[in-house]
Amino acid sequence: MCGIAGVVFKDKKLHPVGDTLTKMLEALQHRGPDSAGLAIYGGLGLNENEYLLNIEVKEKPGLLERVKETVSTATPIKKEEIIPSVENYIIYRCKIKLNSFSELKPLIMDIDKIEDVIVLNGAHSFEMIKDVGLVKDIAARYDTRSKMGTHGIGHTRFSTESLVDRYHAHPFQSYIIPDITVVHNGQITNYWKIRDPLERKGHIFETDNDTECIVHYIADKLAEGYKLEEALEQSVKDMDGPFSYIVGTPNGVGIAKDQLGLRPGVMAENNEVFAIASEEVSLREVMDTHDIDQIAPGETRAYTI
Amino acid sequence: MSEFIINAEHQPPREVNRAIKKAALDYDKIIIKNPNAMHYIASGLVDHVELVIEGSAGYFAGTMIDGAKIHITENAGWFPADNMTAGEVIIDGSAGDGVGQGIYGGTVVVKRDVGSRTGEIMKEGTIIVGGNSGFMSGLFMMGGRIIILGDISEDAGESIIRGAIYVLGNIKSLGKNAKIDELDDEDKKELKELLPEYGFDLTDENYNSFKKIVPRSNRPFYGKESEEG
Repeated sequence: MCGIAGVVFKDKKLHPVGDTLTKMLEALQHRGPDSAGLAIYGGLGLNENEYLLNIEVKEKPGLLERVKETVSTATPIKKEEIIPSVENYIIYRCKIKLNSFSELKPLIMDIDKIEDVIVLNGAHSFEMIKDVGLVKDIAARYDTRSKMGTHGIGHTRFSTESLVDRYHAHPFQSYIIPDITVVHNGQITNYWKIRDPLERKGHIFETDNDTECIVHYIADKLAEGYKLEEALEQSVKDMDGPFSYIVGTPNGVGIAKDQLGLRPGVMAENNEVFAIASEEVSLREVMDTHDIDQIAPGETRAYTI
Repeated sequence: MSEFIINAEHQPPREVNRAIKKAALDYDKIIIKNPNAMHYIASGLVDHVELVIEGSAGYFAGTMIDGAKIHITENAGWFPADNMTAGEVIIDGSAGDGVGQGIYGGTVVVKRDVGSRTGEIMKEGTIIVGGNSGFMSGLFMMGGRIIILGDISEDAGESIIRGAIYVLGNIKSLGKNAKIDELDDEDKKELKELLPEYGFDLTDENYNSFKKIVPRSNRPFYGKESEEG
C-alpha cells in the first residue's frame, strides 16, 4: 500500500503546488510511513541547459569537497545549498549548466562512483524533494509548502520489495528524455519482461525497483513519439500485476490503473484544477469533491497544459 | 427522538467509533460532523441506531453492522457496508469498489455511480445503484439481488452462483456462468415496491426494460451442468 497524488493548475500560472501536494500527501500518510516525495514542475525558473542536482552525501570529512570537485571538473557550480537530513546525511543541491541534456546522466554516473554519495536526481523543469520519514517532517526539512509551480506529483511509501532509503523513495526519474517522473502504488509482476527490452535498447537501470522500470518504460515510449495518453494506454496492455501510477512530465500528469483494478485511483476536476489521488480524502485538500470519478480498471487519464 | 452529535475532525477512526458505540446505547440518532472521508466509520456497530454521516466516508464505512441505519450525505470509498448482516446504508453520492461486499442481509443504496466488483461474494440482501456499476459486478455472488439503474461494465456476474442482478441500462459483457433471463411478474412487482422507497421514480416502460442476470448453473466448477436443477 502506498499513497499517490497529482495536481495540475489549468491556467499554467504559478500556484502553491508544494503546499497543495504536501496537504494531499499528509491526507494519505496512513497509506505509507516509510518515505515520501514530490516532483514540483514549473517553478524552478532555470535557463536553457541549466540543471538542479540533488545529491545525498554522508557526513564524512572531505566527502562533500570531493563531490564539488567532481561536479566542477565537468562544469562550474553556479549556486549551491546544503540541506541537513537524517541518519548522518546531508543533501547537497547545486545549480549547473551543461552543453546539452545528453551530458546529464554521464555526470550523474561519475558522481555516483564516489562511495557514500548518490545523486537523487538532476532536473531542469521540476524540483524533486524526497526523503525517508513522514510527510510532515520532510515538509519541514525542505520547506515544501513554499514551493511554487504549475503542477506536480507526490507519494507516500509503504515499502514492499525494495530498500527504504532516499533513492528508493518516489518519485523515480528517467533520463531517457528530460524530466519524466513516476509515483506508484502496487507491483509490476512481469517486471523482467518489461525491463529486458529496455536494457537491450541501452537504457540504464540503477535499482531493481519496479517503479524505476515504469518510469523508463514511459520515457522510452515518449521518446518514440507516443503522446502521454498513448504511452499510458500501452502500459496497461503491457504490464501485469496490481498497480496504479502517476506520471509527471514538463507539461502535465497522467494516471494508469491495472486491468483488474486492484489498486485505487480517484480524480476530480473543476475549471481551475485537475487532481488525482489514491483516495478522496486527498482530493478534498484541493477542491470540493461532490463529483469524483473512480478510475476504472485498465483506465488512464491525463491532463496536459 | 434523542440525538447526539460527534465532531470527527482531527480524531482517529478508533476514537470516533468508540464515541458512536457509546452514544448508540443512549440515543436514537447520531450525527457525525466533519468525517473528511475517514476510513472504518461505524465498523462493527451492532445497535439499531440511526447514524448520519454529514459528508464523505472513506473505506469500509459501516462494515459488519447489524441493524443500524446509516446515511452518508456525500461519497464513500471502497467496500461500504462490507459483510453487513442487517440494516441499511444509504449513500447520496458515488462509491468506490466492492460496494456491499459479502453482505448477509440488509440494503445498500448508492444514488450515483459505483466502482468495480459491486456485491462480490454477497450472500443475501439488496444492493441498489442509481448510476453505473463497474467491472465484475456480482463477482462470485451467492445470493441476494443487485439492482443497477445505469449501465453495468465488463464481465457482469462473473462466476455468479445464486442471486440475481437487475440492470436497466446496458450490459457491456457477461462473466463466466452468467446469462440473461426474462423478468417475470414477481420480479417486476418486487422492483416496483422497492425502488420508490429509496426515491427512484421509474416509469412502467423502465420496469419493462430491466434485464436480469442469473447463474447458468449452481455448480459451474465441477463438470456438471447443475446438481440442483
